[in-house]
Amino acid sequence: MKTKTLEFLRNFQPRLSRRRRWLFVAVITMSLIPANTRAQGIGDLVLLLHTITITLQGPIGDVLTEMRKVSTEVNNFRQQIIWPLALINQARSFVSATRARYTGLMSQIEGIKNNSATLALPMQLELVFRSAQSGSIGQIPSMYTQIYQPVALSGIAQPVQRNLMDIDDAMSMDSLKTAMVSDQTAQSMLSLADSLEQQAMAAAPGSASMVTAQARVADLETQAQLAKMLAAQLRQEATKLAHQNALLKQRSVATQNLQNQIQQVLTHP
Amino acid sequence: MKTTTLSRLWKVLRNALAVACGLVMVIVLLPSKARSQLGLDPCCAMMQIGLNTISGLLRNSVATPLGSIQQSQQQSANFEQQVVFPMAAITQARNMAVQFEGQFVQMRQLFQLPVASATLPMPQMLEQSLLSGNPGAMPQITSNYYSLYGTVMTPANAPQPVRNLVDMTDAEAQAAMKKAVEIDALANLELQAAEQINQQLQTAAPGSSTILEAETAAWLVRANAYTQSAMAELVRVRSIELANSSGQLKFSASHAATLQTTGSQVIQQGVQ
Repeated sequence: MKTKTLEFLRNFQPRLSRRRRWLFVAVITMSLIPANTRAQGIGDLVLLLHTITITLQGPIGDVLTEMRKVSTEVNNFRQQIIWPLALINQARSFVSATRARYTGLMSQIEGIKNNSATLALPMQLELVFRSAQSGSIGQIPSMYTQIYQPVALSGIAQPVQRNLMDIDDAMSMDSLKTAMVSDQTAQSMLSLADSLEQQAMAAAPGSASMVTAQARVADLETQAQLAKMLAAQLRQEATKLAHQNALLKQRSVATQNLQNQIQQVLTHP
Repeated sequence: MKTTTLSRLWKVLRNALAVACGLVMVIVLLPSKARSQLGLDPCCAMMQIGLNTISGLLRNSVATPLGSIQQSQQQSANFEQQVVFPMAAITQARNMAVQFEGQFVQMRQLFQLPVASATLPMPQMLEQSLLSGNPGAMPQITSNYYSLYGTVMTPANAPQPVRNLVDMTDAEAQAAMKKAVEIDALANLELQAAEQINQQLQTAAPGSSTILEAETAAWLVRANAYTQSAMAELVRVRSIELANSSGQLKFSASHAATLQTTGSQVIQQGVQ
């Protein structure tokens, strides 16, 4: 068989034309080339699979394991150290207990009446200016005048004195009225403080900052109202000082006039 | 004829045989076709093992930690949403800001109620300036003050020390009145700012409320500083009042000594 094949091939070669011979060689070569390329491709593929395996085991797997650890630790830290639910509930209970403990006592103290007048007119005036009702402001002038008398008539006192009486009365009444308004707003502020405390009782760590900001705003309101009261006190004190000074001026002029008159009397006996 | 026909037939058969041989050679020598047709390729087996390994690694080294991380993050998200930042508590805090707004407006309006009480023209003018809360009205305070309380005595009417005392007292009284107007104006601005911050709080988030809190804290520091300056003015008023008492005591002592000396002189002249 082998001999026959060799003989056939030996006889076959001379029979092929030159062009056909080249075609034959080309076909054989083309058939052999892909085999080598595939062999090389398989080697690359194995290497690639190996690289992927190493990458998955090493850089990716290790990092993911670390990430898992870190994530768990962060979670635990948040839940056990920063925002432990038990302590959050404890703080809420504390607010609730504080409220229960002090609110009643403070209300009792706040409710104590300081009215001390004994006669009818003073009792009425005191009742009004301690009422903390701004709606009663209109009653102040008449009640005040009933007790402290109206400004002297022009025939009874000099214009300068009448002006002094009037401005003193005015500043006194202004301050009484402002105090009434202040008392009323103080009640409102106490009510706001109560609301804030109730909110604190039900607040979460995340919403507590909003309640705190609200409390700060209320604090600013209180400061502004306090400033207004201080302004009223400044007006009172300034008026008092100006009053004393005006009297000093009048006395000084009167003394000078008296001195002049005495001198006139002495020089013309 | 028969020979020619046989010769042609042989030529055709020879060519066909050559082509067939060529094809057989090609088919035999092509490696891919041979491998795919003859059964399982060792390369496929290697790939299968490699892919199985990768799949296992993806399951154990990647999917398991990722699942654990997802679970942890989900737990963390739930904790934050339900315990740390519950939406209900946030909404409640916002609603409180809405509720406060009405009360703030009401309080501001209360402080705007008219409290003026003077009845005579000159006191009315001074009172109007003092209660205006308008810093632009300062010059009017000075003129209204002198109209009501008078100016410093002329040198003919009072000795210089008394004139100095009176001038100092007038100055402090006016300064205190002006400071009261300033404080009123500042307090009005503070009330406006408080209302505006409160409006911001109505739509604030837990993260942004701290910024608003810081802004309010800054305003509080400012308000405290203004209150402090008002307290300083009050202290000055009382100091001048105390100084006046002391000054008048000194003048009285001096006058008494002068009177005593003059009286002694008159008595001595009478005796002689």
